[in-house]
Amino acid sequence: MTGLKGNGAVAKPNKLLGNGRLGEKEWIMKRKIGQWAKTVLPAAALALTTSVAVAQDNPDTLNIGVFTFTSGPAAAYGMPGKQAAELMIERINADGGIGGLPIEAKFVDEAQGAEGVISEYRRMAEDPSNQVAVAALSSGNCLALAPLGEQLKMPTIAWNCDTHQLLLNDRLQYTYRPNGNTIPEFTAFVAYLLERNPDVKRVAIINPDYSFGHDAAEIVKTAFETFAPDVEIVAELFPKLGASTYQTEISRLSSARPDAIFSNLWGGDLENFVRQASPRGIFMQSQVILALGETVLQRVDLPEGVIVGMLGDGYWLSPDSQANADTVAFAEAYHKRYGEYPVFPAMKMANAFVVMKAAIEKAIDAKGGEWPTRDEIAAAMKGMEVDTMTGHVRIREDNDGIVDQVIGVTAKSDTYDFKVIADMVRYDGDVFMAPIDEEPVEWIRTLDSAFLKALPKPGSYK
Amino acid sequence: MTRLLPLITAIAVLTLLLLPVVLPWSQFIITIAIAKGFAALGVALLLRGGLISIGHAMYFAIGAYVTAFMMKSDMLGDLALLLLGSTLVATLVGLIVGSFLVRFRAIFFAMLNLAVSMVLFALFSKLYGLTGGTDGMRVSVPAIFGNVLDKAAFDGVLYYVCIALLVIVGFLVRAYFKSPLGYGLKAIHTNEVRLEYLGVSAYSITLIAYTISAALAGLGGAMAALSIGHVLPEYAYWTESGHLVLTAVLGGIGGVAGPFIGSVFLEAVHTFAVDFAADAWNMILGATLLLVIFFVPRGLFGLFEGKPAKRASADEETGDTPNTAIEGGAK
Amino acid sequence: MLNSILPLLVDGLANAALIFFVAVGLTLVFSVLRILNVAHGSFYSIGAYGAASLGLWLVSVGANPWLSYPALLVSAALVAALFGPTIERLLVRWTYGKGEAIQILVTFGLFLILEDLQRMVFGVQSLYQDTPMTLLGVTMVGGVVYLNYQILLIVLALIVLIGLRLLIKRTRMGRLLAAVVADREVSEAMGINTDRIFMLAFSIGVFLAALGGALATPTTGVAPGLGAETMVLAFAVAAIGGLGQIEGAAIAAVIVATAKVLAVYFVPALDSVAPYLVMLAVLMVRPQGLFGVAETRRV
Repeated sequence: MTGLKGNGAVAKPNKLLGNGRLGEKEWIMKRKIGQWAKTVLPAAALALTTSVAVAQDNPDTLNIGVFTFTSGPAAAYGMPGKQAAELMIERINADGGIGGLPIEAKFVDEAQGAEGVISEYRRMAEDPSNQVAVAALSSGNCLALAPLGEQLKMPTIAWNCDTHQLLLNDRLQYTYRPNGNTIPEFTAFVAYLLERNPDVKRVAIINPDYSFGHDAAEIVKTAFETFAPDVEIVAELFPKLGASTYQTEISRLSSARPDAIFSNLWGGDLENFVRQASPRGIFMQSQVILALGETVLQRVDLPEGVIVGMLGDGYWLSPDSQANADTVAFAEAYHKRYGEYPVFPAMKMANAFVVMKAAIEKAIDAKGGEWPTRDEIAAAMKGMEVDTMTGHVRIREDNDGIVDQVIGVTAKSDTYDFKVIADMVRYDGDVFMAPIDEEPVEWIRTLDSAFLKALPKPGSYK
Repeated sequence: MTRLLPLITAIAVLTLLLLPVVLPWSQFIITIAIAKGFAALGVALLLRGGLISIGHAMYFAIGAYVTAFMMKSDMLGDLALLLLGSTLVATLVGLIVGSFLVRFRAIFFAMLNLAVSMVLFALFSKLYGLTGGTDGMRVSVPAIFGNVLDKAAFDGVLYYVCIALLVIVGFLVRAYFKSPLGYGLKAIHTNEVRLEYLGVSAYSITLIAYTISAALAGLGGAMAALSIGHVLPEYAYWTESGHLVLTAVLGGIGGVAGPFIGSVFLEAVHTFAVDFAADAWNMILGATLLLVIFFVPRGLFGLFEGKPAKRASADEETGDTPNTAIEGGAK
Repeated sequence: MLNSILPLLVDGLANAALIFFVAVGLTLVFSVLRILNVAHGSFYSIGAYGAASLGLWLVSVGANPWLSYPALLVSAALVAALFGPTIERLLVRWTYGKGEAIQILVTFGLFLILEDLQRMVFGVQSLYQDTPMTLLGVTMVGGVVYLNYQILLIVLALIVLIGLRLLIKRTRMGRLLAAVVADREVSEAMGINTDRIFMLAFSIGVFLAALGGALATPTTGVAPGLGAETMVLAFAVAAIGGLGQIEGAAIAAVIVATAKVLAVYFVPALDSVAPYLVMLAVLMVRPQGLFGVAETRRV
């Protein structure tokens, strides 16, 4: 970990509100112009002063901050997010920007650790010319930034982090998450597994050692206890985030002889794990569930029949995505530029931009065409419903987004030289969402196997 | 030199007091710099005795985590209580750990501190249920004698509290340096056995120094936790301990002000470097460290003092230690 | 019964082999130069980056995959040749005879510089190069599938251990090394060029660290932060074995690795705590390490 990042609010001129000195200067200028104009050119002067006044009230760019991992093992997941943000900004700007303003983004690397991320966020939020923060990727960082967002009144779109703890107890005014949370995401995998392999008895878990991994383990265990009480958890491992080797863990998993192995490893960790586990026969021995497996399909050759998902509906090859001309065009443009199709973190980021654009446009409408304040942008996101590039999102009163969950298994493709997802199911967004104000993990226990029976079956989403 | 010291101190303190008014963004980084400065002062104190610890960030982390734990309870979330409680716990841990560790010297002392700090780091990271694991813990805004402020106002108060503590603790540590205990510590470095011939217990002298240094680091950790609003296991990682030693040596271990000068200097350079040389920050830091060791062995503080006085009055806490303190040790 | 212990044993030894290379380098440098090189872990990660880059390049030009084996060795040798003599001469030599505070600080400065240097040269993305591992296939031990490459690592570690011992006992260079370790002043008086011996010993240390990194790449990913993490593990192993003790490092590597493996199997919540707990426990009882010789206090 490097030392603390500095936290100076940058001494940029205040574009949105105009700070004291700038305003005074302009006022003097306007007066001078006015005096000159009175005698010579009244009409032109009037026009000029008005234009100056307008320029003062409206910013000329929409400044945002985008937080993601651009270095270290997590960059394997974070870079697609950054690339999607770049491409979306380009596309939106080419299309006239948002409310007529081009987006200008500053990217912050989350790999510098929470301390540095917090400092960068503070620095950004203290500069009023920044309007929106698209932050963050890591659940840990989201948890650390949310209270800061409230203090500094910064509209924040949690573009990726899914921990259900984020919006659980506090009623936040500034942080919104347009992509659901860990409860529906991981409960859905248990439902899918039990539908596909009803005989599963021994389950092992290997998750990263931080809130995301621990929460998922708790949710998965609770879901098994509820839906299939005879399932035994035979090993529960939490290697540290960014671990480079999993050989011992793989031996441990192998010797525990599980019927199924659940993992929500992600990024470089997931790639690493798959590369090390595959030659050691883990995928032959057990039914493996890689909750974030969609991200590695184009990079590592997974065997067929591995259950993979994308924590939501952000699969660029899903029937809904392929039916959306804009999404197809985005995926092709992305592939052309980055040599890879947009994995789901890229689609999540793209959807975050769709939501941001909709929110700002909604706020501008509400203000009769004038540029909204940060408070107004934040308020616009309350209860918003948007069609995204891969489906639909509705933001609940607790600022959590409801999105569908898509799950399937890896399969060979006729079109692509990498594995794709087949036998898919698309669970309705709200079936696994705990009601607001209910302790969500406890809520899972209120479900029963009749609930499972009513769900759509694997392979039903075509 | 000596007569100028109060004047220089007064000017420095006055500058610190006024700085946030002129440059509001400086408030946060100076608060952090002072917090880390306290920990670096603790390290510098041990360096005066010829003891190098590459695990002292653990006391910084202990201070920070105690603050985070205290904030979780409803009763203890008051600024004064937090600072006091965190320092106290760090002091106690320092006393207990120190009672085992100060028997050792040189590389063994360094290694044992490293070992303890890495155990602590691993525990902070692993005990997810208790410490939040690698996510760390959130530290919300505490009350100040029962008054609840918003974050911005609290940060302002914290800043001035830090400066007040800097002055008070600074003078206390200075008094310690000039006390028999302080001289005893330096004698540990120059010749420990002779010290024992004099009937002075080297064990208690080093234990006292070790405990004080833990207390200082704990106080710094509490300040950092309150200012940043979040604590992380990385605070105890070995590279952080390395940074503390670096800060102490960069600033100079000759006087109380050295580590703080080093700390403020580093935070300031970092703030400016982050925009144009973010990827080379460690490199800048490493190169600066080497340059300081090779060319300015007495640290930045040494630059302020001018040439060390060779006169009899050299016993003034400024002039005498620096050159040799970090260079000596077992051959 | 044997079947359930065997996997533990293989895992323990495979882990031990990986730590051993880097730890024995650290301990060797300490025994000759009396310097604790805090930047030693960086040579490990540079070796890993070098091997991964060279391997990926070989794959990209379509070379025979078996060339990836010599590539591991070549990259370690290159790292040692590039960094060993220069760093010893320019930086480390300056600290001889100075206090350990100075030595630790100078090498810590070097560590910081090397960390950023790696980011600049190799970027910040993870690298994977698993060709050597895939070539060798797998073996079943106690019902668990192991990579033959992991077993090869154990053999290589043994070869290095025996090789080092032979080098010191049987060759002229080794005897010179031993003489310098025993008494530097007398060695100099006898006409031994200690400067050259120091440079050599340091370079061998760098080579061993880089070799450890290179050999690790086929079964691990390489990413920033690897050096810092390896450093402290190598440090724990060297300290437990007794700084300067080659066989001590080997045994300590097995102890630390076994502690880690046992934790993963039985108390996974403590997997990363285990190596440091062992280090602390050993050092509290024997600060000079299991096989170290206690030094007398100077007067």
